[in-house]
Amino acid sequence: MHWHRNAAAGIAMTLALLTAPAAASAENLIRVGSPYPTSTLDPMRSSSAGNIEVFGQLYSRLLRRGADGALEPGLAESWGVSADGTVVTLKLRDAKFSDGSPITGADVVFSLLRVRDDKESAYSAPLQQLKDARAEGDKTVVLTLKHPFAPFLGNLEVFNAGIVSKADVEKRGKDAFTKEPVTSGPYIVSEWRPNDRLILKPNANYWRTGFPKNDGAELIEIADANTRVSMMLSGELDATRDVPWSRVSEVQSREGLTLPLEPSTVIYMTLLNETKPPFDDIKVRQAAAYALDVPAITKAMTLGHAKPATTTLPGALDYHASDYPGIPYDPAKAKAMLAESSYKGEELVLLANATGDNDKLSVLIQAQWAAVGIKSRVEKLDRGAWWERIAAGDYHAAPSWWYNETLDPDLAVRWALCGSCGTKSFYTGYNNKKVDELTETAAGELDPSKRAELYRQIQQITTEEVSQIPLYYAPYANAYSERVKGLGMNPMLQWSLEETVFTGE
Amino acid sequence: MSSLSALGQRLLQLIPVLIGISLVSFLLVQLSPGDPVRLLLGDRATAEAVAHLREQYGLNQPLIAQYFSYLSNVLHGDLGHSIRYQMPVGSLILDFVPPTLFLIAYVVAISVPATVVLAIVSARCRDRWPDHLIRALAILGMTIPVFWLALMMSRFFGVELGWFPVSGYGKGFLEHLHHLFLPAISTATWLVPLLLRNLRAALINETESDYVTASRSKGLGEGYIFRRHVLVNSVLPTLNLLGVMIAFLIGSSIVVEIIYAVPGLGTLMVGAVLGRDYNVIQGLTLFYALASVIVTLTIDILSTTIDPRVKL
Repeated sequence: MHWHRNAAAGIAMTLALLTAPAAASAENLIRVGSPYPTSTLDPMRSSSAGNIEVFGQLYSRLLRRGADGALEPGLAESWGVSADGTVVTLKLRDAKFSDGSPITGADVVFSLLRVRDDKESAYSAPLQQLKDARAEGDKTVVLTLKHPFAPFLGNLEVFNAGIVSKADVEKRGKDAFTKEPVTSGPYIVSEWRPNDRLILKPNANYWRTGFPKNDGAELIEIADANTRVSMMLSGELDATRDVPWSRVSEVQSREGLTLPLEPSTVIYMTLLNETKPPFDDIKVRQAAAYALDVPAITKAMTLGHAKPATTTLPGALDYHASDYPGIPYDPAKAKAMLAESSYKGEELVLLANATGDNDKLSVLIQAQWAAVGIKSRVEKLDRGAWWERIAAGDYHAAPSWWYNETLDPDLAVRWALCGSCGTKSFYTGYNNKKVDELTETAAGELDPSKRAELYRQIQQITTEEVSQIPLYYAPYANAYSERVKGLGMNPMLQWSLEETVFTGE
Repeated sequence: MSSLSALGQRLLQLIPVLIGISLVSFLLVQLSPGDPVRLLLGDRATAEAVAHLREQYGLNQPLIAQYFSYLSNVLHGDLGHSIRYQMPVGSLILDFVPPTLFLIAYVVAISVPATVVLAIVSARCRDRWPDHLIRALAILGMTIPVFWLALMMSRFFGVELGWFPVSGYGKGFLEHLHHLFLPAISTATWLVPLLLRNLRAALINETESDYVTASRSKGLGEGYIFRRHVLVNSVLPTLNLLGVMIAFLIGSSIVVEIIYAVPGLGTLMVGAVLGRDYNVIQGLTLFYALASVIVTLTIDILSTTIDPRVKL
């Protein structure tokens, strides 16, 4: 009999405990959900989205972006550029690393040169024009450029130009970034559980006094988009990345949540492999572009939340030619051009990667191409396998997206449109000498209005020659809880976490 | 042969099995397309940076050399380093074990009592309405897709009613119970019917056997016969099925872990496969294999204690 009574009491107690609300945690962390994993804390070692988002929280750069996108003093409190544009002299402010040691010119020189020179540096392009960097005393840094280079100051704000401690990295090597990294930004690492979450706490030595305005943040990796939305709806997250387009209105209409659709430098487009038939023939590429009803595709994919793309560059970039009309939808013209071309009805491979609704995009393109006589089949691969095929040139077309890590178009052009800049125009093999020349001229031109004209030419040529087929400019579909104020993401994938406060406290 | 030496022999047989599994998993991940270094460095990484890091991580060496260096490390108890995180695979896996183990224990704690009670009711009320009802529900539970049920429960009990969290693992025993309730129920919903049908069939089968008729003719009470003879003799097949299902759950908790964002082994496996983190995938495969063997061995030992005729 005792046994029964104990069991009943046990069950009753368990039920009571189960439905009791979980105890509130001691600190108030801002909980941010994202599908993009953090795989390294070393700003030099990766250029993938999840890492870019984190680097900005840990490492301050010489310059920073204000709320309006303009360049502001960061670790450098002032700077000057020589008359010929090749020498940049920066004066550092009195700032400290998280371990209390001063941030000196030597740290700055070390941080920039390792991005440019280290064999393990993932993305050295932003600092390729840097010829020489030297410290003059503790607080002055002189950077000499190979030639005048307009985007340079902006590139000092790019994610991998964060300043790290020379002494610590030299002493601890790779461990310096896996165990309690010494940081120069608003936060330090409280705990990193790879593949799960990164917990940040305030850096007491951060140079912006009064920041961060909170107890820290928890960046949680959640692969499934619907789970992220559920967590927002149930109050288990304060912000999340990438709400699926089909759920944007639902989140927007929910009380206590906002989804402001912030501008991003993301562009959706279709890669065309120009190293082999049929897309090595400009007529086939143009026919493929005329065959696509881009506004209809944009509407079908994003339910009207994104703008149709008109040029080969992201819409949020400086010097974007927004008045350029782009290639209109004209299936009759597409058919006519196809008849004149070298395409004879072969079945093409459309490579879809299994992220987001990329397969849906591929099927839409497949259908519109079929209507004008371009036959294709969709092959769906995960991102690892997709990349292998793209880099090897083993595909015909591949709908995908990319973003630019700064507002200046120089890096975007070098990455996606320039045939001689190292990445073969995003591995399409598009190669136009005139575009390559314009890339260098535009970068060396210091007059903004002349630069605008040069980038307009680049966009016009590459759009007309269909280096890629631009599809749409997607804003960030990030959702925010009204519990937090001041949180947002700028077009360079940087959260304004340090400005964020909890409301109602 | 004593059961102890039988046990030792079973453990020895494990070694070739694990080596075989390590070879198969090594070849499967290495031969599948995709480069972990490209995924690690990001889209814009230069070909030089990718090539350099591949060289440094030894990914350019011949496969056979890579396998033997991997195998010799494993035999020394070292599962290698994660390519992505530059951390030892062993400790990475151990960090993700507790949520999955807790979840499985939770599922078992819910499923076993529910199975036993429902199967007994069903068997004793054979072909009357309680039996029909339980069998109908069992079919329903088996046919509902887990991912759909998990999504619906998370929306209803988590988002709309707010009774349970829709994600995570929490801190401390009680929070674990709270956070993993919906994942455990989602899993138990298909596990209970499976076990239940098995146990019910065994119970009915035993009730009709000769020794039960003999017991009845001796005048023993129905309740006594059922508890002392029928139940004990029916439990073994279901226990074995439970063992197989637990081993299966360790590897297949992926679906509920992803939907409920539980930081368990399934989540780690998905991340490792998408990032082509070879050593982590291989380490997890070995871990799964080892766990399955341990579970089946435990079930076998339990079986020998329940029925002395069963030998290890």
